[in-house]
Amino acid sequence: MTKTYNEINEKIKNGDIVVVTAEEMVKVVEDKGIRVAAEEIDVVTTGTFGPMCSSGAFLNFGHADPPIKFEHLWLNDVHAYHGNAAVDCYIGCTRMSDVRRFEYGGGHVIEDLVSGKPIRLRGNSYTTDCYPLAEVDTEFTINEINQAILCNPRNAYQRYVCAVNSSDKTLYTYMGKLLPHFGNAHYAGTGSLSPLSNDPDYETIGIGTRIFLGGGIGYIIGEGTQHSPSDQFGTIFVKGDLKQMSQEYLRGVTYEKYGTSLFVGVGIPIPILNEGLAKKTAISDKELLTDVVDYGVPRRGRPKLKQVNYEELKSGFIDLNGKKVKCSSLSSLFYARRIAETLKKWIQGGEFFLNPPAERLPTETIFIPMKQTSKLKFVKDLKRDAIICYDDCDLKTVAEKIINQNMNHIIITDRNQNLKGIVTSFDVTKAIAKDKTDLDEIITKKVIVTTDNEPIDVAARKMKQNDISALPVIDEKNKVVGIITSEELM
Amino acid sequence: MTIINITLPFGIIKDISDYSRFINEILKYDITLNILKFSTGSNGINLLIDIPEDKIKTITESLRKSNIIVNKKGRVFIDDEKCVDCGACISLCPTDALHLDFEERLEFSYEKCIGCLLCLDSCPRYAIEEM
Ligand code: SF4
Ligand code: SF4
Repeated sequence: MTKTYNEINEKIKNGDIVVVTAEEMVKVVEDKGIRVAAEEIDVVTTGTFGPMCSSGAFLNFGHADPPIKFEHLWLNDVHAYHGNAAVDCYIGCTRMSDVRRFEYGGGHVIEDLVSGKPIRLRGNSYTTDCYPLAEVDTEFTINEINQAILCNPRNAYQRYVCAVNSSDKTLYTYMGKLLPHFGNAHYAGTGSLSPLSNDPDYETIGIGTRIFLGGGIGYIIGEGTQHSPSDQFGTIFVKGDLKQMSQEYLRGVTYEKYGTSLFVGVGIPIPILNEGLAKKTAISDKELLTDVVDYGVPRRGRPKLKQVNYEELKSGFIDLNGKKVKCSSLSSLFYARRIAETLKKWIQGGEFFLNPPAERLPTETIFIPMKQTSKLKFVKDLKRDAIICYDDCDLKTVAEKIINQNMNHIIITDRNQNLKGIVTSFDVTKAIAKDKTDLDEIITKKVIVTTDNEPIDVAARKMKQNDISALPVIDEKNKVVGIITSEELM
Repeated sequence: MTIINITLPFGIIKDISDYSRFINEILKYDITLNILKFSTGSNGINLLIDIPEDKIKTITESLRKSNIIVNKKGRVFIDDEKCVDCGACISLCPTDALHLDFEERLEFSYEKCIGCLLCLDSCPRYAIEEM
């Protein structure tokens, strides 16, 4: 059994098209089998609604009088990119406001724009003979500019990892707030409703595919950046007319201490051209696997702890070494379903037709890491010998060491080099001034530490975050093997 | 009487003797106390207790010295206009106060909230507000 795009569009015109959502398709195939499902069902709709950081919009304001060629411009105090012709710009969703910082960013500008709110435009120019105006400060709404084109270089990841945190502090990441000691887990994507998971070989998805985008109609214009289909991390590059979209499906968001982003609603219709596609669109949450990844390790190669399927993720708990870890999504299943339903209604109502892609998405590209010409430096490359005092010595010995060795930090260990604490020259001075003699009273016992193989930048961030100027370097047995101070980092 | 929640973070409580030490810490103020609920969550052991209003300050201060977190019950509310039903807050909630309903929309059960405020900075839409 095969169908063509023409036959499907003919049915849409005649009003006898049969459309189901990807979730419903699972049931249809279960009940009737692949062969019957392929005959009866014409189109399967999908949907996803979640944070998509690679999103933004091109805007064209028209010319001022006298004309201006922007050098820099801001929309509601969010810096927009200008590197094109005079009055074009690109507003990216992760750019944060110069004034409100984390609270408001490019994603929020796009939401405000699409909901019809006035946007303040400020811009300046170095001026030219043809563009003499030096400054603009004005206000506009979406209907008062020429084009507003949502253009997102990477949307709708086929699947995404599930994030956990093994470290001993709370992490604020683009995967949300992650509690220490595997306190919770976050995942993204909608599982069996996920657009690319329903056509993983991109038989029907490619350049020119008409889709649901932000509440309006959009198009896939190519593979997304970092498209990596060989390990099921496919992505799409999309565009659409922002003027036809709605605020409901474009929401500005802020992830605490990470930054701003944009929730984008995407839905792709998949024509059931053959039995193979009926089978693929019947994929269930149970069959969709992803990795649980430890964000407690701040490296590119974060450890993968295990595989889970979306059924387990959606159940609200995952099992990690026998521990039940509470797990929730960053994407909204409610809105994803609403997108798949809306797309279904559009097709049933004869408002939306399907088209073959001009070119299918590549299935073999891989995602390569950044080429870094400067060698990554580790703590072991820059550490120096620690000046150590045993925990049973007195304050005077410590004071002498500080003076003789000209070191600000003395590491306190037991006789077996096990870390017990740290004392700074400031602590000692204070203690002497107060006539204290007991070392135990002035030791900082809760010490932030580093290890030989930690990248220097990670160690530097630890110092900055904790407002300290040195970190003892320890080995896996908690034995002190050196010290790194802010001086080495300069 | 007033309901407060005390959280004994993992790490502080290692065994039953640690636990009884903290209970004694409260009892030494010679008060009537009802333990309404005992639960373990992502953040540690949570005890929902009912204590006389005038003792709250003393007890809070004494417990905070031992790094125990004390909260008044039910301190947040959700702004439905802002919420996008993503669920990012749910995994943070040590009780079932934040959960998805049958439609997969966020539902907040005030009576289950222990006021730990862990969810507050997890919401990407600033939809959770402290009362
Ligand atoms: S404050 Fe938030 S996280 Fe804590 S119990 Fe209440 S709803 Fe749950
Ligand atoms: S994190 Fe915020 S937006 Fe998401 S479900 Fe919770 S309250 Fe709603």
